[in-house]
Amino acid sequence: MTIQTLASPVRTEDGDAPAAVASRFNRRIRRWGLIFIAPTLLFLLIFKYGPMLWAIGLSFTSYDMVSQPQYIGLQNYRLLLENPVFLETLVNTLVYVGASTALMTVAGLGLALAINTRVPGARHCMTAIFLTNLMPIIAVCLVCRLLLHPYGLVNQMLAPLGIERIDWLTNEATAMPAIVFVTVWRFAPYFMVVFLAALLALPDDYFEAAELDGAGVFRRFWHITLPLLMPTVFFVVVVSALLSARIFLMPFIMTGGGPGNATRVLSMLIYETGFSYMKMGQAAAISVVLFAIMLVFTTFQMRLFMRREQVYS
Amino acid sequence: MTTIPSEEVAVSRWQLTGWKRGLGLVLLLAFTIAFIIPILWMVTMSFQAGDKMFQLGTEWIPSVWHPENYPNALSRAAFAGYFLNSGVVSLVVMAGNLIFCTLAGYGLAKFRFPGDSIVLLLILSTLMLPLEVTLVPTFLIIYNFGWMNTYMGLAGPLLIDAFGVFLMRQSMLSIPNDYIEAARIDGAGEIRILLQIILPQCTPALAVLAIISFRDSWDQFLWPLTVVSSDAYRTFPLGLVQFGEDYGNPPSEQLAIAVLATIPVFLLFLVFQRSINRGFGLSGLK
Repeated sequence: MTIQTLASPVRTEDGDAPAAVASRFNRRIRRWGLIFIAPTLLFLLIFKYGPMLWAIGLSFTSYDMVSQPQYIGLQNYRLLLENPVFLETLVNTLVYVGASTALMTVAGLGLALAINTRVPGARHCMTAIFLTNLMPIIAVCLVCRLLLHPYGLVNQMLAPLGIERIDWLTNEATAMPAIVFVTVWRFAPYFMVVFLAALLALPDDYFEAAELDGAGVFRRFWHITLPLLMPTVFFVVVVSALLSARIFLMPFIMTGGGPGNATRVLSMLIYETGFSYMKMGQAAAISVVLFAIMLVFTTFQMRLFMRREQVYS
Repeated sequence: MTTIPSEEVAVSRWQLTGWKRGLGLVLLLAFTIAFIIPILWMVTMSFQAGDKMFQLGTEWIPSVWHPENYPNALSRAAFAGYFLNSGVVSLVVMAGNLIFCTLAGYGLAKFRFPGDSIVLLLILSTLMLPLEVTLVPTFLIIYNFGWMNTYMGLAGPLLIDAFGVFLMRQSMLSIPNDYIEAARIDGAGEIRILLQIILPQCTPALAVLAIISFRDSWDQFLWPLTVVSSDAYRTFPLGLVQFGEDYGNPPSEQLAIAVLATIPVFLLFLVFQRSINRGFGLSGLK
């Protein structure tokens, strides 16, 4: 019995089986597809969409977990706009996201191109560089905090060059660049791997034609490799922007948001406002701002993704 | 000279010749060293005497090795317990991602139903809702569930990540539908098809998912900081920060813990390395 029903779609294609049997069969298969997806959808409902809607709702209230939430309209947002610390934090986050996204993309592509030259040992170099991406972020933070310490290794190595001791992490001018640098060091190897995979998948014929035309290495890169890699570049830009918009641990450990508020980012402000000062409504309002930033990047990504899907189908 | 094997023709396009090859090699080696020096420094300094860290002209290789830094560091706080907590949570998160992302990825890659593209977009759009954004409500949910200071509270919100669903879906798209149809005709159930036909063909993607979900959970800091207040459920990053703040703990002992924390992720990578390279599509690289 089961075998007969299961076999029916094949017969449908031959035009033998009754359409009703085929559609019942297809419906059953379709149901399996939904069963496979259901746990994930349920999970996302509880831990992603639900909390997001809740955060938006909370952002219009004053809530301290002791008394009931009080509706206060746009008061939280007004307070944010009047709060210089929030504005500074917002600017810091945008600067950090912009700088680390640009540098991670360029460094990832540069590393991938270097490994793709296929010099002997390139594969081992790739593995070694990728190890930084596997190092726990907390370990990265501790190591870099010691390296950048006023009496740490970086200053010791700069001393013979006649560069005076720099307090990397406690100086307004250098704290943010230092954190960006460490971020790039930790995350660029991942994008190296993404770029490398894209490079390996590039079609050969373009390059053959260019070689016949006698195009040099740089012209070949600029006019052929880079345009072909553009979808990957966009992907990397969006992913690294989403990644750096949520950064917390690096500034938290390396600078604690200082000096002053020079390296304080939105996720730190969310945590402090919500859990140190118990202003849950205010923290939710900051979350909504962070969400808006991520929404911009994700919309880009969705657009690109849908366009690529259409090309393939 | 006379005949060139076809494989070499395929890679020759990117290969450098003569002095450029030498320059490329030197540059690549310089990059590699720059990337791994902090890791090597972390390892050697974890064996260094505590007071030598900031002395001018620090020795790269300790003249006297201090392996006792490791037992000393471990005994100063309940690190064994912290590592156990991190390990349990990360393994649970890894298992959750492997199971549910595979199921959802299969459902999205190989089944057509009304609204399937909207479901895909709905799942992908949660990439913009990391825990940092939903921190306050997620905390309130866990609080209301009574999951504060539990493994469920630590692992729950991380069990499924949209990235994993996407990864599994993409890797299954290329599996020919004929295999699935043929198995159905032979009377195989849907679960058996998934286990016996689909899974063996996406082991590289599973390896990538395993290491990435383990690493991301192992790295979690903000979430444990939010839901854990009792020492018994602290994960190692929280313990390590506390350890660093306590006065008098030498940096070399912090680094010893950092080295220990790095080992599990590196080991996992080594175990899966071949599959991971294939999963990322790097098999063309010799």
